[in-house]
Amino acid sequence: MTEVPRLVARDRPELILGDHGLCPGCGEPVALRILLEVLEELDIVRRSIGVVGHGCYGSFVQIMDVEVLQCLHGRAPSCATGIKRVRPDTVVFTMQGDGDMVNEGLQEVLHTAARGENVTCILLNNGVFGDTGGHQTATTVVGQRTKTSLDGRNPETHGYPIPVADLVASLAGVSYVARGAVSTAGGVARTKRMLQTAFEHQLAGDGFGLVEILTMCPTGWFVPAGSGPDYLTGSLEAAYPLGELSLRERA
Amino acid sequence: MTSTAPARQLLDGCAAITESAIAAGCRFFAGYPMSPFTGLLENMSRRLPEVGGHCLNAESELEAVNMALGAAAAGARAATGSCGQGLALMQEAIAELALNELPLLVVNMARNQQDYFQATRGGGWGDYRTITLAPKDVPEAVEHTQLLFHLADRYRAPVILYGDPLIAQTHVSVDVAARDFDPLPPKDWALDGTSGGTGHSRQIWTWAMGKVSAPGPGPDRHWRAVAAKFDQIAHDEARSEAYRIDGAETVIVAFGSAALFAEHVVDELREDGHRIGLFRPVTLWPFPAADLAAATRDARRVLVFELNAGQMLDDVRQFAHDRDTVRFIGGVSIHASGLSYGPLLDVAPIRSRILEAVA
Amino acid sequence: MRDEVIITGIGGQGIQLMAKTLALAATRAGLQAMLASDFGGEMRGGPSQASVVVDDQRLRSLPILPAASSVVLMHHKHSEFALSRLVPGGLALVNSSVADPAAIRDADVVAVPALDIARAADAPNAAGFVMLGAYMTLRRLVGVTALGDAMRELVPPYRAQHVAANLRALEAGAGAVFAA
Repeated sequence: MTEVPRLVARDRPELILGDHGLCPGCGEPVALRILLEVLEELDIVRRSIGVVGHGCYGSFVQIMDVEVLQCLHGRAPSCATGIKRVRPDTVVFTMQGDGDMVNEGLQEVLHTAARGENVTCILLNNGVFGDTGGHQTATTVVGQRTKTSLDGRNPETHGYPIPVADLVASLAGVSYVARGAVSTAGGVARTKRMLQTAFEHQLAGDGFGLVEILTMCPTGWFVPAGSGPDYLTGSLEAAYPLGELSLRERA
Repeated sequence: MTSTAPARQLLDGCAAITESAIAAGCRFFAGYPMSPFTGLLENMSRRLPEVGGHCLNAESELEAVNMALGAAAAGARAATGSCGQGLALMQEAIAELALNELPLLVVNMARNQQDYFQATRGGGWGDYRTITLAPKDVPEAVEHTQLLFHLADRYRAPVILYGDPLIAQTHVSVDVAARDFDPLPPKDWALDGTSGGTGHSRQIWTWAMGKVSAPGPGPDRHWRAVAAKFDQIAHDEARSEAYRIDGAETVIVAFGSAALFAEHVVDELREDGHRIGLFRPVTLWPFPAADLAAATRDARRVLVFELNAGQMLDDVRQFAHDRDTVRFIGGVSIHASGLSYGPLLDVAPIRSRILEAVA
Repeated sequence: MRDEVIITGIGGQGIQLMAKTLALAATRAGLQAMLASDFGGEMRGGPSQASVVVDDQRLRSLPILPAASSVVLMHHKHSEFALSRLVPGGLALVNSSVADPAAIRDADVVAVPALDIARAADAPNAAGFVMLGAYMTLRRLVGVTALGDAMRELVPPYRAQHVAANLRALEAGAGAVFAA
């Protein structure tokens, strides 16, 4: 008698509906995967609503089996606010790149955090506007080459990067801020735990949460696909230290 | 102000619109203070929590409209607004709402009539229009508020209520009763999380490409369908009022508060024997083209009176029965504070401009 | 029964409260009312004007009145607009404690020393209600009780201590003039 094949493991969560079209070596699909694993494991997918900004990750709206609103550049935290206020029993998260959140949408994320909106914002930070071809953002680190800082970001002409997680962590109304990286296996596991913790805070009604995930962008960094993780460790991680950030005491 | 029903409360326009919105089921409002819109934000701020709703004093107009967009995407009857200067910041989001097919009431509590182009031509992107109603007084603003919530839901689109300082700040004895409308289908497109993980999870995206497991129409078919929808609305939802048009050889064309004053002047001039009437677009978009053509068919003169440099004028020139009969008797007229109408919005100057044109 | 009245004075004299009291009293009595206000940004001393139209029939009126059958002048300053809109022979009710009625032409001028009356009634801040009481006697749109009830509704909690004085002022004003 022939043995019937038995599924013993999946190579990816069921919530991923198809392949992504992003560059080899990109960290964003890794971030998407751990996010969807957390939604599955916490069993909250049937009450989750995602608000997705604009960037390469924007195409994830087609491959994630979660309800999504694709919104205007930078505005995701505001849209998330509206959704959560009228549907407080849902789990609302945003997915935004650094260009989206820290350039266009800096006001929105800071105000949403200050208001203590019970939503979880997820920042995919690779220090570059990848989707438009690799331009400087507010998180591009000093010395990093982009198409608008060809000789490397120079503080005299380009100013300094903005560590948005630190700004958010300084606001009352915030329940959890953490920074992870998907450049190493250990980093992936730790970042996944950060996402889980952030969602647990939302479920407990504790207030605003932000998880910043440093992701590789070898195309935007002008490095070979396989060199992304090392570049990340040497550049972004130095400027944006990993770990859970301490929060301000609430009055 | 005109009012026939027994009066219940003395309300200014901001308070009356608030009550009307609540009667229509509005439970989410976000706004940023800006005169003369501020009163609406204040009233919503006080009243919405009393009925289990939410009002957010947003940190900018950008946030306000995007919060409201989120609430609308989640299925709530939601509203936002500002005056024209603040609405300028909301244009991208209004286009987004239209192409996402999301309902939202946007109140332009304008400072004057200089936002006609903004409302009817739009400042966003793409092929979309916004149904715009321009009440002439507070009781009409009350009716229009409920009608606009209905139209927004019926057509799944952002819609505009065009108010002004006189509507915002004048108190009138007014009865705000909930109006009945035809039943609407349920909002099964609205996000509530429940379709997550089913393979058919909901998606709201202007490009409408859907998910790889359930592809959508994509931008080409979707944007053509949206454009066709607005063509249908243009056909079905134009509204206007013709006042003493019979036998009129002079027809004044005016909207909003300007029409309220023009109506008074028409009565005075009729007393004096002039054969004069008033055509009032109630929807600024869809512009009531066919009704205007009919109302001006026998007119020797079509006099456009609006408080701006000539905006509705373009539409009147295009659609009046005889373009050569159209003349502009309005103008920019601003209060010294910059926040309201100037001396032109008054019976005597309107009367003298009409008589000059008729001579 | 209908009246269009423009009330003017300077900020701090209670113009807006007078006008709103009248409009609310009319509304509560089942009449139709319109109230249009115009005032500057200053808390005190700037122009303050309110137009009120009351009608027992279908109300048609403009927020900027082309003509008024009555004006109530609390102060000589900023009274030009109101006087320019007063119909010939219309009622000009003047707070003669402050404003001089002598210059007013072509009107039925009634002088009421409202500030003096208010002080005599131990309601020194309520000159406006003295004038409102007088206006009510002359125009008979609503009664003193109706005005008093509306005033009570409108006075914010932190001014509740003035309600009794305001009522005395209304009564005193009502008795200070004679109906035609």
